[in-house]
Amino acid sequence: MAVISDDDKIICRCEEVSLGTIKDIVHHFHCSSREVKLRTRAGMGYCGGRICRTIIEKVVQDINNEKVSNESQLSYRPPIRPVTFGQLGGSGNDDES
Amino acid sequence: MSDLLIIGAGPAGLSAAIAAAEKGLSVTVIDEFPKAGGRLLGQLHQEPNGEWWNGIQKGEQLSQRARQLGVTIQCEVSVYDISQSKNGWDVYTTKGEYKAEKLLLATGATESPIPVKGWTLPGVMTIGAAQIMGNVHRVKPGNSCIIIGANVLSMAIANELKLCGVNVKEIIIPKADITSNEAGNPEQVLSSLMRLTHLAPTPILRQLGKIGKLVHPKIAIKLFPRKGIRMFDIPLRLKNAALEIVGDRFATGVRTANIKANGEIDHTSEKVVDADFVCIAGGLTPLSELASIIGCSFKYIPELGGHVPVHNEQMQTNIPGLYVAGNITGIESAKVAMAQGRVAGLAIAADIMNDWEQMETSINKAIENVNITRDKALIQFHPGISDARKKFYQKSEVDLTQISKIKKREA
Amino acid sequence: MTMRVEYHPVLGNLENQRRITIYFDDQAYQAYEGDTIASAMMAEGVKTLRYHEVSGKGRGVYCNIGHCFECRVRVNEENIVRACLTPVSEGMRIHSLS
Ligand SMILES: Cc1cc2nc3c(=O)[nH]c(=O)nc-3n(C[C@H](O)[C@H](O)[C@H](O)COP(=O)(O)OP(=O)(O)OC[C@H]3O[C@@H](n4cnc5c(N)ncnc54)[C@H](O)[C@@H]3O)c2cc1C
Ligand code: FES
Ligand code: FES
Repeated sequence: MAVISDDDKIICRCEEVSLGTIKDIVHHFHCSSREVKLRTRAGMGYCGGRICRTIIEKVVQDINNEKVSNESQLSYRPPIRPVTFGQLGGSGNDDES
Repeated sequence: MSDLLIIGAGPAGLSAAIAAAEKGLSVTVIDEFPKAGGRLLGQLHQEPNGEWWNGIQKGEQLSQRARQLGVTIQCEVSVYDISQSKNGWDVYTTKGEYKAEKLLLATGATESPIPVKGWTLPGVMTIGAAQIMGNVHRVKPGNSCIIIGANVLSMAIANELKLCGVNVKEIIIPKADITSNEAGNPEQVLSSLMRLTHLAPTPILRQLGKIGKLVHPKIAIKLFPRKGIRMFDIPLRLKNAALEIVGDRFATGVRTANIKANGEIDHTSEKVVDADFVCIAGGLTPLSELASIIGCSFKYIPELGGHVPVHNEQMQTNIPGLYVAGNITGIESAKVAMAQGRVAGLAIAADIMNDWEQMETSINKAIENVNITRDKALIQFHPGISDARKKFYQKSEVDLTQISKIKKREA
Repeated sequence: MTMRVEYHPVLGNLENQRRITIYFDDQAYQAYEGDTIASAMMAEGVKTLRYHEVSGKGRGVYCNIGHCFECRVRVNEENIVRACLTPVSEGMRIHSLS
């Protein structure tokens, strides 16, 4: 029976970035999770990376043989929930994204 | 402007609100969920004495008490940014700006993913999503399900889904790979279950805990039957792995295979098990994004579920006027979150009234109560929480004297 | 067949739920007052709430508590909301995104 390859499974749901893509980028550029994010958009989707960031960091750290550091590489940036221009203007209306 | 703004109306936030309001503070609590109670709402487990821990009831009791004390609770409000001002905090939300002198982050936890092939299909959801659908909204996501990921939370919720009338076909583990690690290794899964379950909410889990005292996980997993053991009549199959979630437009089942104790797959045993929906149970990690954008320091503590904002036993962070309580400080049960909330509420009251001496005894008593509650906790998410906390608080650079020095300098 | 958990051995039974009508992609559905958009659609067996903007693949409720944004839908022609955090109201018109 054929062995299913896992490289096409999605890691970042928002941007549909696969495990294979992340692995390739890390191997090719020997880079950090921050750079992976900039090169692939993994972690930059609608959810702000809330769902995929821990896995991305883990995959990158595993490949690079690093230990988890205290300060996370994929920092959060405001707004942590998508907002409309109206809200940024502080008009206090009811829609939420 | 309130004395205290609390983000998160879970057990930690509501308990803090109650404690602070009892001391006379004006308190506002905001939360993005339509109902107050946080993740308490979905909880339903049986205590060793047979009584049910009914999260909906507990949540209602807490918010009722808070409201009686004059606390304002506003739901459907999402916080997206925070900045520090001269007199305190400006909090930006989908319903406008809030201002307060002190700020408490009680945002709880988020579920860690296990990326399984096919996991973006409709009908695949986190185990917590199914819990809330069933227990809070009283809707079954389907008539039958498979759970991927064996841990204390998934086993507790498996039974809750069963009580909702869902046919939980089996609890299996993810295939071992770079994204799943320990969760995909049968021996490690069994080992962590055996260490966690001395008080766990189901008899079979307690049984595992007892076995854990007698035999090494290496031997236990060899003896572990391939067809699994039954817990509330739900097969817990640690020697079966999920290879892929199958389905065209939505999930219709999971391709599984037998695995060896070390996670190695026997591909000849592959088969598809049908199910209406699939749950992913990757465990919990603190939801600390707001602490991160404010600029708190963090520490990585695996026993507490990941990165936690640095804080002391009084729940102060390294940023003056900013407090944390509940699962944002580490993954523990709701009772611990409530006890921590009380500490935070009292500490903030002392801070505002500038009266630490007067309040010292009650704060210390509340801290002692956190420790007692922690030791007695029925559900422990990771082994070694107590020790990890002790070490963390000893090392934690923030202490009260330091913070009061900072305050005086600013004044 | 309804997916409602009408009877529950510990939480008790659902009684006197007020029924309302909502519209998802212009089709009428029954909902209970107190539902979120996500729970109402789930009860009616609708699992797909939107289509991924690039791949076009269907997506539905994933976290149910506002963290993943997978359930976002458009309500009443203008607002994009998370279905899992938004209570339904009588006559609400909900549209899937693609
Ligand atoms: C899905 C899930 C299921 C769980 N099930 C169990 C269980 O069965 N048994 C158990 O013992 N423990 C369970 N837990 C652990 C749970 O975290 C604790 O039991 C307890 O609820 C933690 O309390 P808390 O007050 O710290 O946070 P929570 O109860 O999580 O409350 C935090 C609140 O903050 C709000 N919030 C977060 N961010 C924002 C924002 N930006 N803007 C506005 N509001 C925000 C959330 O909506 C939430 O209501 C579960 C956790 C999760 C995530
Ligand atoms: S899942 Fe990756 S950004 Fe949302
Ligand atoms: S399902 Fe995740 S935000 Fe609604």
